Amino acid sequence: MTRTPSISAREAGQALRTALSRGGDWAELFWERHETLQIVLDDGHVEDAISGVDQGAGIRVTKGERTTYANGNVNDVDDLIALAGRAARGVEEGGALHEVGEVTPDELPRPSTVAIDPRSVAVERKVALLRRADQVARSLDPRVSQVTVSYGESVQEVLIANSDGLHRSDTRVRLNFAVHVVAKQGEVLESGFEALRGTSGFEMLSEEAVAEAAHTAARRAVLNVGAEPAPAGTYTVVLSSEAGGTLIHESVGHGLEADLNLKGLSVYSGRIGQKVASELITVIDDGTDPDKRGTAAMDDEGTPTQRTVLIENGVLRTYLSDRKHAAKLGIPRSGNARRESFRYLPICRMTTTMIAPGSSDPAEILRSVKDGVFVKKMGGGQVDVVSGNFAFEITECYRIRDGSLAEPLRGATLVGQGPKLMSEIDMVGNDLGYSTGTCGKDGQGAPVADAQPTIRIPSVVVGGKLK
Amino acid sequence: MSERVTNEVAVDQALDALRALGIAAGEVFLREAQSGSVEIKDGAIDSVIARGERGIGIRVLEEQRLGFAYTSDLSTDGIRACADTARRMSGVTEADKDLALATRPIDDADLDIYQAGIVNRALVERGNVALAVEDAARATDPRVTQFRKTTYSDSESTTIIATTTGMRGSYRESYCGAMTSAVATQDGERQIGYHGEAGRRFADLDPKRVGEQAARRAVEKLGARALSTQKLPVVLDPWMAMDLLRAIGPLFSADNVLKGRSLFASKVGQRVASERVTIVDDARRPRGLRSAPFDGEGVATTTQTLIDRGVLRGYLTSLKTARKLGVEPSGNARRGGYGSPSRVGTSNLYIDAGTDDTAAIARGLDRALAITSLLNLHTIDPVSGEFSLGATGNYLERGLRSHPVQGITIAGNLTQLLGAIVAVGTDLVFGPSGLGSPTLVISELSIGGA
Repeated sequence: MTRTPSISAREAGQALRTALSRGGDWAELFWERHETLQIVLDDGHVEDAISGVDQGAGIRVTKGERTTYANGNVNDVDDLIALAGRAARGVEEGGALHEVGEVTPDELPRPSTVAIDPRSVAVERKVALLRRADQVARSLDPRVSQVTVSYGESVQEVLIANSDGLHRSDTRVRLNFAVHVVAKQGEVLESGFEALRGTSGFEMLSEEAVAEAAHTAARRAVLNVGAEPAPAGTYTVVLSSEAGGTLIHESVGHGLEADLNLKGLSVYSGRIGQKVASELITVIDDGTDPDKRGTAAMDDEGTPTQRTVLIENGVLRTYLSDRKHAAKLGIPRSGNARRESFRYLPICRMTTTMIAPGSSDPAEILRSVKDGVFVKKMGGGQVDVVSGNFAFEITECYRIRDGSLAEPLRGATLVGQGPKLMSEIDMVGNDLGYSTGTCGKDGQGAPVADAQPTIRIPSVVVGGKLK
Repeated sequence: MSERVTNEVAVDQALDALRALGIAAGEVFLREAQSGSVEIKDGAIDSVIARGERGIGIRVLEEQRLGFAYTSDLSTDGIRACADTARRMSGVTEADKDLALATRPIDDADLDIYQAGIVNRALVERGNVALAVEDAARATDPRVTQFRKTTYSDSESTTIIATTTGMRGSYRESYCGAMTSAVATQDGERQIGYHGEAGRRFADLDPKRVGEQAARRAVEKLGARALSTQKLPVVLDPWMAMDLLRAIGPLFSADNVLKGRSLFASKVGQRVASERVTIVDDARRPRGLRSAPFDGEGVATTTQTLIDRGVLRGYLTSLKTARKLGVEPSGNARRGGYGSPSRVGTSNLYIDAGTDDTAAIARGLDRALAITSLLNLHTIDPVSGEFSLGATGNYLERGLRSHPVQGITIAGNLTQLLGAIVAVGTDLVFGPSGLGSPTLVISELSIGGA
């Protein structure tokens, strides 16, 4: 039997009726076809070329407070109906039977443009970009000792239908071009990393952009291998807009996810309408920001993505929600239900999260600090949402002396408590810089972006070494 | 319902497809898994997930060039397309004379990693495990009032690997696990404590122990204060030590060693850790959570002492990296699933039990820090070995808990950490990802704080 390209309204209706055949209040079908290509150039050679397709579906049935979710690889309509039957058998029998509304397809506008479908681009061109990056990185400095460059292409087609009659599809084309460079000086090894990632077509990977990313990764590795270990202690810190938004993602974003707030477990629980940050702080999550890594036409429940103001001039306005938690908390659906794939239930997640620009001149912010630390690039981070304690990695940073950048520092981490930090930020720049990452929550990965202007934190703990 | 071929037939069809394309060296990897999880909330089952997966990954080695493709479409057309794509991918990569596919037959080791029917238990029985976890946590301390998430999960899977040259092997494995994040509250302060355990058999799981440990983790953080920046001796209980051991794993990878990305490169025979430290990678540990008879390339797995009383003895290898180093392959080409290529990695990696009374040693220290949680472990760079992590802990005076601390960092280098281990306890424990460690005492680490 041939592969089903997608699921028609009629087939979806049949699956949903099967899912509700033994009871249940509501049912949903999430179908996905995910094509990937990964090419890795490591140690000067193209080592890996991996291409694949994974296709499957998940059927969710809710009854009262309980959710049943059956999922698996699905290659045709018969597989899908069998899966719906499996979901139905998981539902406790009894209670009223619910009808499935007439399933009516509709289309949402796509926020990202894909001028060049990466699947239409010859593999030789992709390999040429890898080689170009390798060459740029190796030619920067004799201390560059190893380079790994990878090209990742992901095309995810989704179809979501539910017993309210919804039937919507979306195609997310995502690219990930990453450069990892090792520099060696004596016995010391250090890494530098830079990536180009977006929900966009192949046009985002110009030769110039690729070369610049490779240059940045190599420059960072070389800088770090010659840098002094960061000194542990409490400092005034300036976070450059170039540093990206890991800070807002970890220190605030996770605490604003509705699932934690329904349980009353977040430091932001029950605080809508209250002041939770400095008046200089406005926090926005925007799933419609064109071409960004977290962007899509709809979330993974079929709710259109949107721009949501979470904190406005320091006052908490709303949470990031999915259907279930929006209803329970009595807030609007924000289009933030996301799932890694058909193998998972959707959970409340960020898309592109940012601190909105303020009014200070970034150069003025730097000049205002006599002795401190300047963070030029952040890496990964983690938060304990219950206590609000967070930590994030710094991959490029400098000492500030008398308002100017001084010696580079390596191996630094910033730790703090979200609401405390947000109330202490005392300068916000008029610039804005983005970064990208893969957020992990409850065992699911999600592509995200984040952004922030240059900001000043008067006093924060910087992790590092003591002599 | 569509015609569903058995796993063995699907593998045969893939081998036939490779031969039909005239491919002399090809490999088929099939994974089928049934898994499930039950999450509870407010004393009742909140969600039930039943998951099925089945797919193949095909590797083609032509003119010493390797191509890889995977698919979940096991129709005749789907398999044929996958084989064809794998061959096409081999045209993209570069030749490496040391690439090879497995040829040796696999021994029939029984590692006791499979209990039939683990995923077929009644929902109520599986939900009860999660409920027992929360009951135990509440019973441990009245300040435990809520839970961030409590789940029970299980799985059964079948792995088959076969090559066009006649090597073929298969095994089945089972898994079940329980985890919770308990929340303790006192005077408006909230702290969370995570604990999870897993086993190959249902009876190996002790929900009471999971709940009690999570509750202790949460409660011990209540009343946390700041700590000033200083250097202190550090006590790592087995669970915290496992978190750091995970980051040390990549240093043993022959792939990293050969590409100049490991601080252990060209250190075989040299001292790389305190003489109290012995580190073993044991893929043959009975009931081990990462035990398997063969690896992701179909090579028989082994038990290997990587560090013997402080001295580096060798590396973890795949077929290719073993050839490059001129050693026997250790069977450490680990593979996550049908869609992932194999990468050199650890199986059950553990620090062997020592002979020290770590509590007595802590009592001999005027001041020390016992770590209770670590943030940002995923950012440790195995290349530089540098770590700088968020932490919470208990501040100890002569081995006795003075008060908990939070908002601090600990920093160091993984290789220096191995050299600074001054005591290794007798209490070796294995965790849910196959890692194991006893309690460790570190002579000194940099603490960042107020």
